[in-house]
Amino acid sequence: MNFQQILLVLKREYITRIRSKAFIIATILIPLGLVAFMGIGVGIAVWDSQPVHTIGIIDQTNSIYPQLKKIAPDRYKDFSSVSEDSLRSLVLNEKIDGYIFLDEANINQQKAPEFVSSGAGGLSLQSTVQSDLREAIRKVRLDRADVSQNIQNIYESKIELKTRKLTKEGKETEDDTGFLTIVGVVMGVIIFMSVLGYGGLITRSVIEEKTNRIIEVIASSVKPIELLLGKMAGVGALALTQIAIWIVSILGLASVAGPIANSFMVNKIPDQAAQAAPSAPGMNPAVFTIPKIEPSLIILFVIFFILGYLIYSSLFAAVGSAVDSETDTQQFMFPIMLPIMIGYFIMFRAMANPDSTLAVVGSLIPFCAPIVMITRIAITDVPIWEILTSILLMIGTFVGTMWLSAKIYSVGILSYGKSASFKELIKWIKE
Amino acid sequence: MSVIQVKNISKSFGDTKAVSDVSFEVPEGCIFGLLGPNGAGKTTSIRIINHILIADNGSVTVNGERVSSNTQHMIGYMPEERGLYKKMKVGEQLIYLAQLKGLSYNEAKKSIKYWLDRFEAADWYSKKVGELSKGMSQKIQFIATIAHDPDIYIFDEPFSGLDPINSEMLKNIVIELRERGKTVLFSTHRMEQVEQMCDEICLFNKGKAVLKGNLREIKNSFGKNTINLEFQGDHTFLDKLENVRINNRSTNFAEIRVLNGQNMQDILKTAIEHAEIYKFERIEPSLTEIFISTVGEDNINPNELA
Repeated sequence: MNFQQILLVLKREYITRIRSKAFIIATILIPLGLVAFMGIGVGIAVWDSQPVHTIGIIDQTNSIYPQLKKIAPDRYKDFSSVSEDSLRSLVLNEKIDGYIFLDEANINQQKAPEFVSSGAGGLSLQSTVQSDLREAIRKVRLDRADVSQNIQNIYESKIELKTRKLTKEGKETEDDTGFLTIVGVVMGVIIFMSVLGYGGLITRSVIEEKTNRIIEVIASSVKPIELLLGKMAGVGALALTQIAIWIVSILGLASVAGPIANSFMVNKIPDQAAQAAPSAPGMNPAVFTIPKIEPSLIILFVIFFILGYLIYSSLFAAVGSAVDSETDTQQFMFPIMLPIMIGYFIMFRAMANPDSTLAVVGSLIPFCAPIVMITRIAITDVPIWEILTSILLMIGTFVGTMWLSAKIYSVGILSYGKSASFKELIKWIKE
Repeated sequence: MSVIQVKNISKSFGDTKAVSDVSFEVPEGCIFGLLGPNGAGKTTSIRIINHILIADNGSVTVNGERVSSNTQHMIGYMPEERGLYKKMKVGEQLIYLAQLKGLSYNEAKKSIKYWLDRFEAADWYSKKVGELSKGMSQKIQFIATIAHDPDIYIFDEPFSGLDPINSEMLKNIVIELRERGKTVLFSTHRMEQVEQMCDEICLFNKGKAVLKGNLREIKNSFGKNTINLEFQGDHTFLDKLENVRINNRSTNFAEIRVLNGQNMQDILKTAIEHAEIYKFERIEPSLTEIFISTVGEDNINPNELA
């Protein structure tokens, strides 16, 4: 192999692509798209909580309704003076979302209250109503049982959970699990999208050389394996450049945005801050800085990114060489997409439960590992042997896929006019 | 001395034998024609010489060296299926291709400037290839083939798809290259180009080299066994002739190959009886005729020979 040649191919792939409008646009638009995507998600959640449900209450006990009114004044309306029949028609005409008929039997727990509704509120309304009723009836019963204020306070006390995480060094730290979960998933998603996106780019680049008919000119100067490696390295360098741009701009934005947000908040509530804690020097800046991401996590991210990219891009290159036009790639794309999609879904399981068997196995299978493992590493302490095993397995797999790909590629690039079948591919590999 | 030596090469793709046991030598400083119908194994042989394909058996040497990445740099190759990166600029692209052939950046740039000037194309340097006309990009393709100034040039079906101007230009380049002592090998299925340009030929049919050697000597060896006949009048008498093969026939012209030693005077007599004869000439057979008589009429598809 001649590294001079590989370097020339790499340089061409990298330079022609980094100058292209497509690259510049994608580098800018993808983060904006992600932000917009998340924004839409948040927006939907905010907008979604708006609708107010109205539930009619016929309270024969005269004691439950006042409690409900305290819990959610907008939700519960007193309809004790209205007959049940007219309530039914109100529900059917969608004037109210439902009604509940309450009597002493409900308080004595001889009978469960019945919630009659048009189904408008769905499950979330039902569970809200259930918990509201539980609280109201409990309150009424406590009142009637004439228990002491102490015990009432006990029932009313709300338990909050503060989390702290024990690190290797034996120090307890502020637990960032929530934040790190997001980091892990974002890293997994970036690897997933990049492998697909840049893999697709490799496929197109190989097909382009075939359809342009320049491939034979190149093949008379460069070995197929040199061309393949140069191409993969060039596009890989492009991918790393893009990710580096993103990381640097995120860190840059964060370091600028934190202090700005701080001074903004401090200016806005100086009186409160002064009153609450006259000795405290303003707000705690930590509130608005991003929790620390370990450098080791970023290094591992790059390693898993590169390995995942290498495994898949070699396969994507083989697909490109086997087909005659982009429309014919479908049949070969499916077997490649399948494992990475599986990895993608396992990642979401790993997010909820990073040490489950599924997550551990998924992070060791080389085709899923780049996505699943990085998510686990971000969220939890993965044993070092698991990480090393995963990396070694991926390197081994890459050697295998590269061998396979080189075989297919060296034959495929010179076969014009028709796309190969799986049968032919196997023949090429055996040759 | 022969710059390219092909010895007993064979190459199969699955069950099809593309090339079987082919040998030939290309002497230095000549124009060498590989000819034969499509699918005869010319392109496969050329790819093996270019080290793009590896022969199953046999050996190929270029300048006395077994084919390798190194010998690739000694050859300027223009494949039959040719093209360029459409989105790359002309200058960058030519420099890249020349660098792949082993030139340094500065050498490549200098050589490309020279050739672009020579083809009056200097102002295309920063244009994208996709913006060029077909004829223009064909010129760029020539430059890509010759810019690294190799000693050996291989053109696979160079004239297919060329417009007449570029066709003429390529012919002149090939002849100029020979005058500068370079060796040119090209393949074609069009016999008249070979007759005009080649010193040496190798005839391919069905994966085998069926005839090779100096074009003049080959023609001489066949003798003047062919008649060029020009006439006016009823041409159906041609159908009545026996023991002949008529190759190039129209209403007032025929190229008649005389078979089995039939007396040519008898043919002339028959012709005079039926038509007014303008011209009766004994000539050497055309390459098409040589090809047909070498491989046998039944073994070729005449449509593939022009």
